[in-house]
Amino acid sequence: MRTTPRTRAVSDTALFLGPAIVLLAIFFVAPILVNIVVAFTDMSQTLDFKDFPTTKQFNKLGKLDDEALLGIELRRSFYKALMLTLVFVVLTLGIFNLTFALILGLTTTALPDRMGAFFRAVWLLPRMSPSVVYALLWLWVVDSTERGLFNQILMAVGFEPMNLRLDHPMAVIVVANGLIGASLGMIIFTSAIRSIPEHLFHAARADGAGPFSIIRHVILPALRWPISYITIYQALALLVSFEYIFLIMGPARSTMTMAMLSYTKTLAPQIGGGQYAYGAAIAMILIVIGILVALAMWRLTNMKALLQRPRIEVR
Amino acid sequence: MAEIELRNLSKAWDASVAVDGIDLTLADGEFAAILGPSGCGKSTTLFMLSGVYTPTGGEIRFDGAVVNDVEPRDRNVGIVFQSYALYPNMSVLQNILFPLRFKQVDDADKRAREMAELVQITPLLDRRPSQLSGGQQQRVALARALVKRPNLLLLDEPLSNLDATLRLTMRAEIRRIVTELGVTTILVTHDQLEATTMADRVICMNAGRIEQTGSAEDLYLRPDTLFVAGFIGSPPMNLLAVDPSAAGLRLDVDGPVTLGLRPELLRAAETGVPATVSHVEPMGRETLYTAQSELGQVRFLEPTARPNWAFGDMLKLAFDPADTLLFAPDGQRVPDAHATWKDLAHA
Ligand SMILES: Nc1ncnc2c1ncn2[C@@H]1O[C@H](COP(=O)(O)OP(=O)(O)OP(=O)(O)O)[C@@H](O)[C@H]1O
Ligand SMILES: [Mg+2]
Repeated sequence: MRTTPRTRAVSDTALFLGPAIVLLAIFFVAPILVNIVVAFTDMSQTLDFKDFPTTKQFNKLGKLDDEALLGIELRRSFYKALMLTLVFVVLTLGIFNLTFALILGLTTTALPDRMGAFFRAVWLLPRMSPSVVYALLWLWVVDSTERGLFNQILMAVGFEPMNLRLDHPMAVIVVANGLIGASLGMIIFTSAIRSIPEHLFHAARADGAGPFSIIRHVILPALRWPISYITIYQALALLVSFEYIFLIMGPARSTMTMAMLSYTKTLAPQIGGGQYAYGAAIAMILIVIGILVALAMWRLTNMKALLQRPRIEVR
Repeated sequence: MAEIELRNLSKAWDASVAVDGIDLTLADGEFAAILGPSGCGKSTTLFMLSGVYTPTGGEIRFDGAVVNDVEPRDRNVGIVFQSYALYPNMSVLQNILFPLRFKQVDDADKRAREMAELVQITPLLDRRPSQLSGGQQQRVALARALVKRPNLLLLDEPLSNLDATLRLTMRAEIRRIVTELGVTTILVTHDQLEATTMADRVICMNAGRIEQTGSAEDLYLRPDTLFVAGFIGSPPMNLLAVDPSAAGLRLDVDGPVTLGLRPELLRAAETGVPATVSHVEPMGRETLYTAQSELGQVRFLEPTARPNWAFGDMLKLAFDPADTLLFAPDGQRVPDAHATWKDLAHA
């Protein structure tokens, strides 16, 4: 059968975008819709609810709901979670996922090929091992007794052993998440650095630039998009990440970020879960924050310009 | 400016030797061209001169002082890369200013603008390299190489990306600028015409070595080696492995030799070596013929646009045996040796 250009254009579009749209709908849009619905109910452990729609859950977070002590307690933990999330995301992203990843990318590309590949592989190892194994390693590292690796080192150089999880909980989760998270940036930055034409390095050397000038004037400009991308991607990933926090710190209040709060209030039955509607409300706020952060960075980094231009033409 | 001296200069990588012990002296203000096939080590030689690569053997001297381990910024060498290598994130002006960042210069901006004026790109100063044509990019690269007032200017196939007309203008323009500044210059090129029209001296390289240096005329008329004989000139020289007894020639040397003879020195005549035309190539102003003869397959050139001969025509090819060159089996030319006719009927 002959197809007209018009039906051809429609079928091409369906062919190219169809699978992506279906996947998005099933795995992203549907859960978000379910989450939003649940957030406006009073669903609890039994999964049934009486009220819909109701803003009861959000009232608990503002000052509107006055359930005396319990209300104050809920508000406190919510505002604290907001603050902890901010600190956790900014520190992990800034120190590890960007700066440290950049240092790894720069140093491993400056090494001879094989050695560079080896060190990159080392940094990828934690990503390849199951999270529980990685978390167990960290539990051993920060163990408060004299058996902990960190304490052994401290004592070897003449300090008192310390309880890191108690005294510096944020540092523990930032470092634990950062050391894993940096490998993504490292890979992206490495490939971006490698794709800089060799002759630009030669030109910069011939023009008299030293290593730092080359980084500043040749490498960093070429990393503008990768840095924007990693910033947006990792900021969103860290906002909702709780796996390592939970595995290393458990439901400790000192590291109860938004994602942790939402998780413990819903899916961790032995520590007071089952408040599905309340957890969904927090998750919804997290989604809104995520969207705002993404939009802000989108504007800030002019990411639009990067994604706008199609490289192959699909009619 | 500077006198440049290379002593047994080498550059080897794990797997290969790119430059294999070259010796060369350039006088102050000289314009030399390096000519050679792809991969013979031309760019590598320039990179060592500019300090981008460290030699693995030998010495580089600028005005007598060894500079092997001198950082590029202290060498004062300007280089235009094969691909121009402009910084894509900087404007044209910033590109030209870049080398001055690493020198103590008070009037950087003024100097950059003067350079832009010299290479005639002043109206383009605010553009990005991606918004320039190939010829404009090439001028920016030239301005960037010249702005630090180098003692040595290196040009790595600067004209290879340009169209024929622009190439012709840029040739003259580069020559003008270089003469104006009096800077010692090395031009790398595959293009023989470019080398011979622009440079005072031509250096012919092959497989990491210098085969011969001399004037364009030297290389054309008196090639030292078989490689130069075959590489210089288009169409290339006829190189015939002759069996002297069969060809009716007497050679000044004994043993097996290769006989070289330029296609334009052969002509059809009443007497000569019998040959059959096997291929005719009209080349515009002249016509190139390939013929099978007693000496082997030869090419000859006639200065007529319309072919005088056709496929299968039989003719006799005459030449002056004093024009022949003889090459020993090791590829070296035997100086002052020629062929002569055995019987005078050919002469
Ligand atoms: N970084 C490198 N590592 C290993 N080998 C190299 C490197 N750069 C060049 N070579 C090799 O050295 C030899 C000379 O290279 P060079 O770039 O100097 O050639 P060239 O004469 O400039 O050729 P072209 O005319 O194609 O530019 C080549 O055989 C090349 O494969
Ligand atoms: Mg080259």
